[in-house]
Amino acid sequence: MLDHAVGTQEEWLAASKDLLAAEKEHSRRGDELARRRRELPWVPIDKEYAFETNEGTKTLADLFGGRSQLLVYHFMFGFGFRVDEQNPGCIGCSFVADHFDGVVPHLNGHGVTLVAESIAPLQQLQVYADRMEWTFPWVSSLGSDFRFDFGAAFTEEQQKNGAVYNFRHEAEVSPQREGMSAFILRDGVVHHTYSTYARGVEQLMGTFGYLDVSPLGRNEEPEHTGAWWHRHDEYETLEATAQ
Amino acid sequence: MTDHTVATQEEWQKARDALLQDEKELTRRNDELARKRRELPWVKVEKSYTFETERGTKSLAELFDSRSQLLVYHFMFGPPYTAGCTVCSSIADTLAPHVPHLQARDTTLLLASRAPLENLLAYRQRMGWAIDWVSSGGSDFNRDLGLLHTEEELKPFLDGPIPPVVEQMAQASGTDVAGYVAEGPGLSAYALLDGTVYRTYVTTARGLEPAMAYYGLLDRTPLGRQEEGEAEHWLRRHDEY
Repeated sequence: MLDHAVGTQEEWLAASKDLLAAEKEHSRRGDELARRRRELPWVPIDKEYAFETNEGTKTLADLFGGRSQLLVYHFMFGFGFRVDEQNPGCIGCSFVADHFDGVVPHLNGHGVTLVAESIAPLQQLQVYADRMEWTFPWVSSLGSDFRFDFGAAFTEEQQKNGAVYNFRHEAEVSPQREGMSAFILRDGVVHHTYSTYARGVEQLMGTFGYLDVSPLGRNEEPEHTGAWWHRHDEYETLEATAQ
Repeated sequence: MTDHTVATQEEWQKARDALLQDEKELTRRNDELARKRRELPWVKVEKSYTFETERGTKSLAELFDSRSQLLVYHFMFGPPYTAGCTVCSSIADTLAPHVPHLQARDTTLLLASRAPLENLLAYRQRMGWAIDWVSSGGSDFNRDLGLLHTEEELKPFLDGPIPPVVEQMAQASGTDVAGYVAEGPGLSAYALLDGTVYRTYVTTARGLEPAMAYYGLLDRTPLGRQEEGEAEHWLRRHDEY
């Protein structure tokens, strides 16, 4: 039974125009925040970080791949986040990463390199990327302080005593969390410009944008007790199992 | 020498904390807008539309493919185009990965354009997209949504100075400016309940930016979108960079 208000075209149009004004205001606020992000001071990085990549060991400056800007997605994999032996990649991060391959050519064409980083052996990342059919660059930060220094992984001591995540002290932190950090290379020096965590990474994904314009939205309340999303190759098998 | 302010970690942190509060506020405002969208009245779609698909001619209700929600991305690819619009192509690059996740939310997402189906499918093959694409050229679907413009409506625009970006995009689609801008981009949303299709939401122009995932990322890079004052748009098809 339909329990939603049904209107005439004229009523819908009047309501849509009001909504449009609010949407436009929202777009402009988004522009304003983007401007303020660009105004953040840049912090030079003098610490050395090493990453294992498909093309050998690289420094943070090497990861730029000849471009001036770098985005690093902190992908939760292994290291305290292994779901099981077959599924070492975090489901939420896999959902985020499903969006990367489509944007990589456009970002690269606009002077931005996007890579994902995880604390795990490179070979494990390659196996999982093959399974998921991803082609974006994914590097191993295993053995480096990189992810810890940029607030997306936590030492055993921090896990016990609490730590700062998303710029706020949390009494309990898991071994790692999701996030993205942005860097610029100027005169041979890498500068950290921006990091975002938690719901900040929603803005890196398109699927929520689509759900937010669907009649029922994200459709998560009130029965939403856990994540509805799965790895993109698991929906069918999991649905079949549930039936 | 960098001409940007360089600071200590502490100074950066202070600025970042202030920004975070406003980012959180914007995220919550976005949730609020999503709520308002769901509160829009639904409008019964009483006219019958037909679409050419890979599985034959279908009605709007059939496009739901047994799901309760339908999202149609109106891709600018009119009959005279020899290739899909470059900007729509960049959007479509990000669409196929959504499909399994949206289906899990009982939502079908597909592309619709006015060009003949065979032109759409040939271009899809070139671009390597795994998403359904239907031709809406056989009915008034685009026109009724305000996404097809007549020559008379376009006259004031065509008589004025044409922005170089529009010339660039028309040329990249193998058509003239009048042919290119006859089509409009858009996203429309529908609900199917008890056999009746309701239109719930339509957006265009910057309302499509949430579908342009690269903007969300560029808005978090040190230099941003870098588009102001550029006569030529930086976007290309993914196989043309």
